[in-house]
Amino acid sequence: MSREHETVWEVFARKAYEEPLHHVGTVTEEDEDLALLSARAIYDEQPWIHMIIVPRNAIREAIRA
Amino acid sequence: MSTTPPAVDGATVTMISLIGSLADNKGALGRRYGEWAVSAPTIESAVAAAAMAQDELGHARSTYPVLAKLGVEREDDGLDAGTPMPAIARELPDWASFIAANLVVDGILTTFVATARDSSIEPLAQRARKILQEEGAHRVHAEAWLRRISRTGGNDSELLRRRIEEMWSQAARWPGPDDDLGYREAIERGMVADGPAAVRDRVRQWLERHGATVDLAEPDDWSAWDPERRQ
Repeated sequence: MSREHETVWEVFARKAYEEPLHHVGTVTEEDEDLALLSARAIYDEQPWIHMIIVPRNAIREAIRA
Repeated sequence: MSTTPPAVDGATVTMISLIGSLADNKGALGRRYGEWAVSAPTIESAVAAAAMAQDELGHARSTYPVLAKLGVEREDDGLDAGTPMPAIARELPDWASFIAANLVVDGILTTFVATARDSSIEPLAQRARKILQEEGAHRVHAEAWLRRISRTGGNDSELLRRRIEEMWSQAARWPGPDDDLGYREAIERGMVADGPAAVRDRVRQWLERHGATVDLAEPDDWSAWDPERRQ
């Protein structure tokens, strides 16, 4: 199955609200709902209280050394 | 192997059949999902298949004890229990079959479970609420893959349409005929909220709302219907 049209989503999560969100990995999915499901299923190694996903192509670089 | 207690009323006989068969089919569905955890089209899909397999096997395992509350003694038959729908009794031949099972078989079983959310059989109501929490992710998975394959079109879409029709021809019969007296009595006694036709109609409307362009006819020939095997 070709994955060239799929979106890479960066996954961030935290275990407590006083903590910042940490980058925990990526998932590759065309569909946003499937990406959310995959992120929850794949990165379930910690008792997260908050997890977000961001399409990689929506990230803008402010500094690039 | 289970033993139905003698001299129980029609509603209880119907509920024993529904609950036992629900567990049998969830066990089979868990095995089928699990087989695709090692051969799904992407790693992400494989992880989702594994998570859904774990859910279904857990639902099967925790649903069988509800039968004891209805007086049914059941031996532990392991994973190959009962008589699930033939469509999920053996390995699914392709990913389209997986998605069709997710949409149609899982859809019919979960819609039935939703009718037992406030069941007068309290252990069933408790199970139902827990199952429905976990089935939300299965529904999202099914809807997303239906959208995805429908968007792709061509052979993939045509194969999925055929697989949905095949699954529907069996799964739509699972709730049974709408005029089943035991089922009607079970509704009157608050064991379930709605009957077979309502379950089928909800799944049909859900599938159509998400773009499934398939023939989801109401079953009309019940002459060979076996209420114990629900086939």
